[in-house]
Amino acid sequence: MPKKPALQHLSSALADAVQAAGASVVTVDARPRYPASGVVTAPGFVLTASHAVQEDDIKVTLPDGEELSAELLGRDPHSDLALLKLSTAKGAAAQTNEDPQVGQLALALGRPTSEGMQASLGIISAVGGPLRSHHGGLLERYLRTDAIPYPGFSGGPLVDGEGRVLGINTSGLGMGASLTIPAKLAWKIAAAIQEHGGVKRGYLGVRSQLVELSEENSKALKREQASGLLVMTVEKESPSAAGGLMVGDIIVGFAGQPVAEHDELLLQLNGGVVGKAVDMEVLRGGKPQLVKVTIGEQEEVHQGHGRQRGRRFSHRGWRR
Amino acid sequence: MALPLDFSAVVSAARSSLVAVFAKRYGAGAGILWSADGLVLTNRHVLGQHTPKVLLMDERQFEAEVIATDEEVDLALLRIEAQDLPAASIGDSTQLRVGELVFALGHPWGQRNAASFGIVSQLGNAKTQGRRGLIPIIQTDARLAPGNSGGPLLNAAGEVVGVNTMIVGGDQGLAIPSAVVLDFLAYVHAPVMSD
Repeated sequence: MPKKPALQHLSSALADAVQAAGASVVTVDARPRYPASGVVTAPGFVLTASHAVQEDDIKVTLPDGEELSAELLGRDPHSDLALLKLSTAKGAAAQTNEDPQVGQLALALGRPTSEGMQASLGIISAVGGPLRSHHGGLLERYLRTDAIPYPGFSGGPLVDGEGRVLGINTSGLGMGASLTIPAKLAWKIAAAIQEHGGVKRGYLGVRSQLVELSEENSKALKREQASGLLVMTVEKESPSAAGGLMVGDIIVGFAGQPVAEHDELLLQLNGGVVGKAVDMEVLRGGKPQLVKVTIGEQEEVHQGHGRQRGRRFSHRGWRR
Repeated sequence: MALPLDFSAVVSAARSSLVAVFAKRYGAGAGILWSADGLVLTNRHVLGQHTPKVLLMDERQFEAEVIATDEEVDLALLRIEAQDLPAASIGDSTQLRVGELVFALGHPWGQRNAASFGIVSQLGNAKTQGRRGLIPIIQTDARLAPGNSGGPLLNAAGEVVGVNTMIVGGDQGLAIPSAVVLDFLAYVHAPVMSD
């Protein structure tokens, strides 16, 4: 009977995945009531949920039970991520899987207590983005899962069947629902925090729409590119207005990199270009042209937590 | 293409040892045929003001005698006058790992002989009021509802590794590990199965 062993194989593979990933999952105790979780990105560095870091006194407990103090290197309210630096360079760096597929098995993990790993099983339900979060934040990309987000799972990972991190779970962005920040984005944000103390997000002041490029366009560009971003509006006194970007331009490149999708532009704008004069490649009247735009900085979103949070919720009427 | 991983073999094999226990005016709990000669395990809180009646999968119904109960771990041992029953195969809960597949059998919201599945979410401890003080507890994300109480939590091999006991916060199911059941049975000097 081949069925039963196959099932037992799956069962122990899932337990193996929890065990393997668990080596990089830590307890983050930095809020009044219930601790949250975190993921070691490199020895001494822990990525966690920003909303779970509310106190200056941050304690991180490693899988072996060792308790370390940690300092906050920075936050990114858009993705609700925060990067912590441990007092010593300890912890095992997590493996990542940067190619999440809708339908693949996924385990949500957390370690909010000293009683060991916690896990729930589901699948990746959706891969989406960009998403405007409720207080003006912008999330380039996210995953959703149907695995149950238990209390204290914020900051913990969603992992695949081999224990590789698909993303970081947080309940601090959506309307109470849990979201997962994909590993590729999360690790990039961690690097930006480590480098600049946060993610500076660029501001252009245009609204654009994805359009297909014609063969003539491709010829004019001298490269194969299927799509670009048609500028629909240019905000007054915005960086793009100052740089001379016009309605009807098709944005096809940014700082020497092709731009074929909104995500690519957003990722470029989040890639440390604030204050820099960047050559934007546009098709104007079918001809490629460079427009120099000095990138502005997006206004910081307000990250509320603690007492602030209750007020915000009641103000918006989400929770009574 | 058939899915290579079919859960039905495990569930249907184990389901014959699932029973329903009626002891209150409304509703029923679940129970486990623990031995071929009539021992039935269930939760203490499933018992009520009436003499418990045990309904087998084959629709036979028996009045049961309550042999022992233990409030501290919410377990009860019953006996029915029957022989050659399809006793459950009992697994070792101390070997469980977080992430393992588990199946819960019972009668959620009165739906007879239903199965749900999930994984072992946590292997924690719970404080008790009694001689033990602290017992291990299995938390699962398998969906449980009233009517699952006293029913088996099975591992991927179809062995009983726990007794489904409680629902916390709507989505956390708690089960008493089989090791605690064995401790309870030893403590009450339950007649040991002869093999």
